[in-house]
Amino acid sequence: MTLDETKAGLDAVEEGPHLSERSTGSSDSKIDDPDGHPSVVALLLQFGDSVSGHRVSAGTQHVVWIDSARNLEILHWLRDSQDHQYDMISDITAVDYGAGRPIDVVYQLFSTVHKRALRIRCELPLDGLEIDSIVELWSAANWLEREVYDLFGVTFRKHPDLRRILMPDDYEEGHPLRKDFPLRGRFSRAEQTRRALDQSVEHSYIAEEMDLGRDPQQAVPIIGTKDGDG
Amino acid sequence: MEKGRTRMGLKDVLPGGGTSSVTGGMFGDGSPTFLTSKIDWIINWSRRNSLWPMPFGTACCAIEMMASAASNYDLARFGMERMSFSPRQADVLICAGRVPYKLAPVLRRIWDQMPQPKWCVSMGACASSGGVFDVYSMVQGIDTIIPVDVYIPGCPPRPEGLIYGLMMIQEKIREESLSRHFEHRAEDPSRVARPHANAAQVVGLTGPFGNSTQQEELSNKESGATEGTPEERIP
Repeated sequence: MTLDETKAGLDAVEEGPHLSERSTGSSDSKIDDPDGHPSVVALLLQFGDSVSGHRVSAGTQHVVWIDSARNLEILHWLRDSQDHQYDMISDITAVDYGAGRPIDVVYQLFSTVHKRALRIRCELPLDGLEIDSIVELWSAANWLEREVYDLFGVTFRKHPDLRRILMPDDYEEGHPLRKDFPLRGRFSRAEQTRRALDQSVEHSYIAEEMDLGRDPQQAVPIIGTKDGDG
Repeated sequence: MEKGRTRMGLKDVLPGGGTSSVTGGMFGDGSPTFLTSKIDWIINWSRRNSLWPMPFGTACCAIEMMASAASNYDLARFGMERMSFSPRQADVLICAGRVPYKLAPVLRRIWDQMPQPKWCVSMGACASSGGVFDVYSMVQGIDTIIPVDVYIPGCPPRPEGLIYGLMMIQEKIREESLSRHFEHRAEDPSRVARPHANAAQVVGLTGPFGNSTQQEELSNKESGATEGTPEERIP
């Protein structure tokens, strides 16, 4: 960290809390130097009109903003093309910057073949929090997308089992990680306790889910799918 | 039988006064004999010396609870010989750690599954009050879910703290009586008047070592202005 950065950080402490800045996005179509990452170059060549921004974060982490309408197509290409082969989805999360600004859905990809990481981000306006599910590309995305749905309220189209994963199923206070969500929730403590005790234990802890993994020969079904073959 | 009402030893209850020798009675020629005592005393004695804990460990407090059960602190010395991982065979529920609202019905179910008589220890700041987690997802003290007998402060409490809390449970059992069964055995936290004990009773419950104020009194120390300065603590 340079001396200037340290001074800027100390000045920010003096100024007090303020709205966090978006690092980039469609409003700012600047492209950082993409030469350090072959996948970014290829993305700009292949899907140039859908790439709205690119940044290098923390020295080595390349972040690419893409059009949320084409996320499935672009991620599919990143997974399957020979030069990239991002076969692992490390994480799916979202960022709410507050003040009515769009919510970013973040895909953290890793290629175990080429030993490369890439971060893909999609902007979603608050009045259109919908995006295509990528469970058909990576099965691991199932619970990650449920988590984003639970905590941010982003709807994933064509998700096989889109329901809450961390909060109770009948939770009615909203999506807790949104900036407009009050820290202690919307209901009173007494109401929260009453609702908690009204839950059926069997509803949260399904016998089928508890039995998963006991028999290694048994195919693990994904709860809620029609065919159950995962 | 009035003398040594709650602290009598075996000698006290032997036939014939019992403090002198053990040549007669049940240790004599083997002929049938008998032992008399208060039924409350016998029941409380057996209950408080075979408390089986139901460990409900959800966070870092559970690590201290495990340390208490391990050889260094050895909870078994006090009758907690066996950690009962089934609530059906447990006497005292140790809730160690934070409890989110999603886990609240589970905790309540486990408490309901435990047979009477049963006691509950709330271990640590989070279980007792929610601690630093004053947020949307966290139960603000498990006494809103189940009745609690002893709260152990600390974040997390040391094993000594847990052992001390369990010994307070033993002290509480010592004072219980069958005739006041329903007073002691409330299932529903809303039916329990809080606080349970007045100040004098609390002092009585803090044995056997007493709290720090009592220790000062017992050792005839006067709390002067110079007491407890750092200079005095350094040997």
